Amino acid sequence: MLTVNNLSMSYGKNQIFSDLTFTIHSGEIVGLVGENGAGKSTLLRVLATLQKPKSGTVQLNNFTYLADKNKIRRLIGFVPQEIAIWDEFTVKENMLFFEKLSWKKRSESELRQFCLEMNLDQWNKPVKTLSGGMKRKLNMAISLIHDPYLILLDEPTVGIDLKSKKEIKNYLHDLANNKGKVIVYTSHDMDEINTLCSRVLCIGNDPFYKDILKKAGKNIHVF
Amino acid sequence: MKSILQTRIIFWKHQIFSLLFWLLLPIIAVISITLLSESIQEDSNIPVGLVIEEDTPMAENLKENINQAAMIHVDILDEDKALAQLEKHELDSVFIIRDGYQQQIKKGSRNQLITSYSSDLSFAYTPVSEMIASFVQEETGRSKAAYTVLNLAKTHYENHSWTWEEIVAKSKQIQMDQELLQTTFTYANSQSEETTNSILIWNTWGLWALFSILSTFFLFDWIIKEKRSSLRPRFAFIRYSFKTYCLQNLIIYTLLFLITDLIAILAFNIILGEGIHPTDVWNVFSFRLMMNSLVFLIAIRVTNLIFYYSLSFILTLIMTISSGVILPVERITNHFPLLEVIHPLQIFMDANVHHIWLYVTITLIVIWFLRKEKSNAYGK
Repeated sequence: MLTVNNLSMSYGKNQIFSDLTFTIHSGEIVGLVGENGAGKSTLLRVLATLQKPKSGTVQLNNFTYLADKNKIRRLIGFVPQEIAIWDEFTVKENMLFFEKLSWKKRSESELRQFCLEMNLDQWNKPVKTLSGGMKRKLNMAISLIHDPYLILLDEPTVGIDLKSKKEIKNYLHDLANNKGKVIVYTSHDMDEINTLCSRVLCIGNDPFYKDILKKAGKNIHVF
Repeated sequence: MKSILQTRIIFWKHQIFSLLFWLLLPIIAVISITLLSESIQEDSNIPVGLVIEEDTPMAENLKENINQAAMIHVDILDEDKALAQLEKHELDSVFIIRDGYQQQIKKGSRNQLITSYSSDLSFAYTPVSEMIASFVQEETGRSKAAYTVLNLAKTHYENHSWTWEEIVAKSKQIQMDQELLQTTFTYANSQSEETTNSILIWNTWGLWALFSILSTFFLFDWIIKEKRSSLRPRFAFIRYSFKTYCLQNLIIYTLLFLITDLIAILAFNIILGEGIHPTDVWNVFSFRLMMNSLVFLIAIRVTNLIFYYSLSFILTLIMTISSGVILPVERITNHFPLLEVIHPLQIFMDANVHHIWLYVTITLIVIWFLRKEKSNAYGK
């Protein structure tokens, strides 16, 4: 369970968000929406321990972020918006590279099976020859090698085809429903948010997102 | 360390040719340049014919002296062949040590000892003949001195048992022991200069050091490539921090370089005849550790790859010019003696195992590493 209490963040005098309080339970996929610059990516980075908040507390199960940062990081899978993979390597080499550095040891066959579950079947192909969708899947697969409990995805489906989007969504549903993962997902694609997420956190005062989500009958929290 | 090595091997599989090229560049370049310059020097030597009509120690000694002269290639021939080759301009000049050469010198004769021939195209005849004349004069002078000593001994010591041969041998021994003809003169209270021998010994290593600086820079470009911002966030969620990852890779690269340096030491010994002494090996290793640490520190500060490559060429050029490996820098070092003390290449070429920059760079790496541990505690 991820528990956030009175979380505030600012850059100098510029307040990004303030007093965020919410809880996400195991097996939940929560969407994070808001206009550009509302602070979605910043919140995700704070939840990923990559940025320190101005005030407030974050807790993952029994671990608090400031006190148990290193233990918490082992439980986090962060999928950055920018594709962070080695272009000159093959899919296999990318997976092996990050497995060697990972907290969790996995065999090559396990890694391959893991990719196949995401319909990433071009094991020996150089990454530079892959489609955008395949690269996105690999970007996500690398972040999940150590089997994290909290999965934070920063617009993971930007610029990819519908088929790949659907495959990623199916995979995330499986992780949440069958493996009890906590998933926080940011996107500008409201259809995607509507179909994937059980709950939505809306950051900022823009009524655009609220209206769409209300029409879709979503359970939304506005901050 | 094993995991980091395994990840590095994945990189090396993709960069095998460039890795081998930069690793072996210093060895191949030094051997090629040295052999090429030797070959050019050999080809540009002046061909001189030498005819020896008598088999005496003095004739042999003269032959050896001419053989050892720089820029001259001596062919030992008979007179007919030598003159035929001179006519065809295959030889620049011909010198004949006539029968009775030793006897004439012993008699004290100084004239008509060597017969020489030149052609209308003999451009080096004058300096070569003067050089040979100086060798002959050395012998005649020594012989005359021996007779003078014998006459003095006859006058003052009735029971002396010295012979002419013994005096001449002793004279040669003294000349060799005291390097009478190679003594360098210095002003009183000024520092004596190094003998030229040591400079020649380290020229191979000087060249090697210059190429090594360049190759180290190019092999350390992984630091800049791998600290790309898009990949950096991943290091928060793996077993190693980015700095630990870099440091362990530095150790792996240093081990790889040390193995290559050992190959260089062996190759230079086998091919170029360079000596292998434990202090020289340690000197090479300490230079390698210093160079790797220095380049590592530069690479972690630089973010732009083009700037980094440009900087590597500029720094190598500055090192080349200021080190004295290629161009003489006595004028600069006379004005700035501190340069000899702080210049990394000068310290290396002086075979100083206590490389000051090694201690400085290692200290800086430790500071860099510890600073990281502090900043990480706040989740940056």
